[in-house]
Amino acid sequence: MDAFLAQLWIARWPLFDGFLMTIGISVGAIVFGTILGCIVGIQLVFAPLWLRLPFRAYVDIMRGTPLLVLILAAFYIPAVMGLSLSAAQAGTLALGLFAGAHIGELVRGSLQAIPPGQIEAGRSIGLTFPQILANVLLPQALRTSLPPWINTGVELIKGSSLLSMIGVGELLLKSQEVIGRNFMTIQFYVFAGILYLLVNVTLDLLGKSLERRLGARL
Amino acid sequence: MRATALKVAAGLGALSLVLSFTQTASAGKLQDVLSRGKLVVGTGSTNPPWHFRDESGELVGFDIDVAKIVAKGLFDDETKIEFVNQASDARIPNIVTDKVDISCQFITVTAARAQQVAFTVPYYREGVSLMMVAGGKYPDYAALKAAGNAVTVSVLQNVFAEGMVHAALPEAKVDQFESVDLMYQALNSGRADAAATDTSSLAYYMKQNEGRYVDSGFSWNPQTYSCIVKQGDPDWLNFVNIALRESMTGTTFPQYKASYEKWFGTSPSDPTIGFPAEFR
Repeated sequence: MDAFLAQLWIARWPLFDGFLMTIGISVGAIVFGTILGCIVGIQLVFAPLWLRLPFRAYVDIMRGTPLLVLILAAFYIPAVMGLSLSAAQAGTLALGLFAGAHIGELVRGSLQAIPPGQIEAGRSIGLTFPQILANVLLPQALRTSLPPWINTGVELIKGSSLLSMIGVGELLLKSQEVIGRNFMTIQFYVFAGILYLLVNVTLDLLGKSLERRLGARL
Repeated sequence: MRATALKVAAGLGALSLVLSFTQTASAGKLQDVLSRGKLVVGTGSTNPPWHFRDESGELVGFDIDVAKIVAKGLFDDETKIEFVNQASDARIPNIVTDKVDISCQFITVTAARAQQVAFTVPYYREGVSLMMVAGGKYPDYAALKAAGNAVTVSVLQNVFAEGMVHAALPEAKVDQFESVDLMYQALNSGRADAAATDTSSLAYYMKQNEGRYVDSGFSWNPQTYSCIVKQGDPDWLNFVNIALRESMTGTTFPQYKASYEKWFGTSPSDPTIGFPAEFR
């Protein structure tokens, strides 16, 4: 244990950098994915059929492809097309597109769960569609999307560990680098696992308390 | 309907932003690298003594030093390198898609790989060696071999492990372990009489633990390590070859030698003066 703590102390800054990278990429991906997901979700419910199809295709492709394949595609396909993305950019893009599809689907579900009478009521008091969306539908839909949205965030944080495959210096790769030097395989993998767990449990608790506060106002 | 159109426009705008790309012109890799002012090198970060991070987080190792030899040849400045971290299975794709100018990442030369990328001249020949605890029951390879099936060899788990050990010690028992630390632990605890792994890894480990272990004096399973570059650019390949060759036979030999001693604990023999031996 002492030997592990000594090695941990030596490796504290690289591991901390990796931890920040994991958080940074996850936050970037969830922000990008949420914006994308809201657009996609709204299109899936309200757009005319010809327009709904491409969004449907996007969602199905993203949700039907393994995350690792998406990451490799985001890393190599732009390079073939002449666009040079850094590994971290490509990884954030892949995670964001992945999250966008999942969030799009859950926004769609939440929107469709709202009784159609509410749209009709909004229309009958003279609200335009954007007004109905902003004042009637989204406040309710986003509230019901919160629990699965937190779940997507947890998935993203765990999924960000796959970025070690394309050389992004996040928590897992930084841990592997430390293990490569001191051979303390089990100790440092367990340590990384505990860090992931702590972040996710914290996020979960945060989501639960947010749910309670929003739920009280329903 | 106008609102729908607005939503569509916003969606498409975001999409085209993602898909937009720039074009890059190329006038030969060598000129590209020179005018860029730095060499982009693909390598790993988790395998001592080849490429790993030291305690200060700096990328070090023999592969790193080989890349520095090339950078020194380009800019007379070995710091003008950008290292791109890549997993082992990204070595060839990253070359083919121009993510890196060159990859030096203990790449074993094979004919199959040479169909996809261009190999430079080799800079090391890897093998497999046996390591024992100093002062133990078996002092060298002959003793291990004579002991037959009384010997247990610890080895890193892989499909070829059994056959690899039996090529040198046909009757030995093989104990496979999932990680390097467990493999060495088996040797330390006496569960295994010898550990078999890459010659370079053993050399480095023995240098880190001066006096605690001995080499059996026997190595087998040769494989050649070279850097790789993209196919179709002979000027670039030739430049890298010259830079590497001269570090093993000519003016920059001291740089190669210092690095070799640092990571493997032994000295490569000096180039003989007179007739250039590589043409013999």
